[in-house]
Amino acid sequence: MKMSPELKKAQENMQPGVITADGFLGDEKRSLKDIIVRDEEEMRKYGLDYEESAKLLRELMEEGRKGLGEAVTVKERWLVQTFESRGPLPCPFEDGIFKKVTAEITDKKSGEKILVSDMAIHLMESHRFLEGIGSSFRLDPEQLKKVVF
Amino acid sequence: MNFLIAPVAVGVIAAVLGAVIGIVDRIVNNYGDVEIDINGKKTLTVKGGDKLLSSLAAEGIFIPSACGGRGSCGACKCRVESDVGPHLPTEVPYLTEEEMAQNVRLACQVKVKENIQIRIPDELFNVKKYNTKVKSIKDVTHDIKEVVFDLQGEEIDFKAGRYVQIVVPPYGKIKGSTQRAYSMSSKPSDKGVIELLIRLVPGGIATTWVHNYLSEGDEVELIGPFGDFERRETDATMVCVAGGSGMAPFKSILFDMYEKGELDREVWYFFGARTTKDLFYLEEMKELDSKWENFHFVPALSEPQEGAGWDGETGLITDVLDRYIKEKMRADRDKEGYLCGSPGMIAACNNVMTANGIPLEKIYYDKFA
Repeated sequence: MKMSPELKKAQENMQPGVITADGFLGDEKRSLKDIIVRDEEEMRKYGLDYEESAKLLRELMEEGRKGLGEAVTVKERWLVQTFESRGPLPCPFEDGIFKKVTAEITDKKSGEKILVSDMAIHLMESHRFLEGIGSSFRLDPEQLKKVVF
Repeated sequence: MNFLIAPVAVGVIAAVLGAVIGIVDRIVNNYGDVEIDINGKKTLTVKGGDKLLSSLAAEGIFIPSACGGRGSCGACKCRVESDVGPHLPTEVPYLTEEEMAQNVRLACQVKVKENIQIRIPDELFNVKKYNTKVKSIKDVTHDIKEVVFDLQGEEIDFKAGRYVQIVVPPYGKIKGSTQRAYSMSSKPSDKGVIELLIRLVPGGIATTWVHNYLSEGDEVELIGPFGDFERRETDATMVCVAGGSGMAPFKSILFDMYEKGELDREVWYFFGARTTKDLFYLEEMKELDSKWENFHFVPALSEPQEGAGWDGETGLITDVLDRYIKEKMRADRDKEGYLCGSPGMIAACNNVMTANGIPLEKIYYDKFA
């Protein structure tokens, strides 16, 4: 599928060593456009909405921050632990700068986990990009459904 | 054979053009030797054209950098007093307007193309690179490892509270080397080793390497000491707060004070954890508490599990801190705050301390994140 110059530039920025050491694409070799289209289908398959998912993840991260670095139980269902690292990260789509805040969200009952970051939420909400398969911060629709819905 | 003429001609032209570009590049981008004047005290002669950060490091001058020169941490700030051109778009997000007005630059982004003058803190002249060997790795909790590095005959001089940078080599899918900062938990008198406490951060490059790849006997480069976190030489009560691997600088400071006989000073140490499985060094701290009359160790659990036998303080560490300042500490004594944790933890403790009369300028912190 043909990519716009903006998507081409974003895909360059997502390579390992450009913005982050391991990049945003994981093990994927396909184009950014193809990844986004594939994941739109995945989101539909699991009945997930990008904006709604982003809103819920952001709320869980905010609750997790109250633990001041220690894990905190949220709504008796989730264990959320946030981590903050030094310095900001520019978005690979070049439309914002984000603090390096990450959270590990665990469903206490099933033990299933998902790793989320401020940047990952922005990528999901504004660019419909969930990161590539194999990326640590991929918001995999199936895992998202299991852990947070 | 005629069909070969065109491709061969194209090949020859491409080869000639490549050679010309290579030669021109070597001539145009050959800056020769250039001088870096540091603080008017030291002059280095380096090959021109390289980044300031790497040029300095090659000569044994190490500016702190948490990302290893990728321009993604904003830590390697230094003042450049010569004109090296306008700030680059890659620098701007990391600099305040005031810093930009003072020509503070990111050393990893500025190229040294001609003689330049820079200003760095004098302490950085004492920073060295150590080729260490991992002496021991111990799990102190389910997600924190205590790692001791042997300096192999070298010694490190530092004030308790300082940090070092680990040079993380490429591993697994990580293709490039990177660096991360960790506070030293060893005492300054333990000159032949450096002890670090490293908590596993999911997805973290350095912590994943330490937890899943590093073994005893491995060789590791450490750079340091860096930082300005230290106890102030006053007689004010020290109110220290940490959680998780934030224990590191306080272990160093407290055992250094005990060793040096600074026992008249009152010290309160609040340590926050979620459950008993997140607590560590409990016995060591309780022993210190019993031997040092003016030292008070207050561990607190935010979510103690039923049946875990916890009879200590419970609640968020900021709530416990607030209660103790109001009810247990002498109001007539001057107090200083010492914090080690994430920016969120620092901000929350700042609020509690200032609300209880500790001036903001007397709250010192090691913002390890």
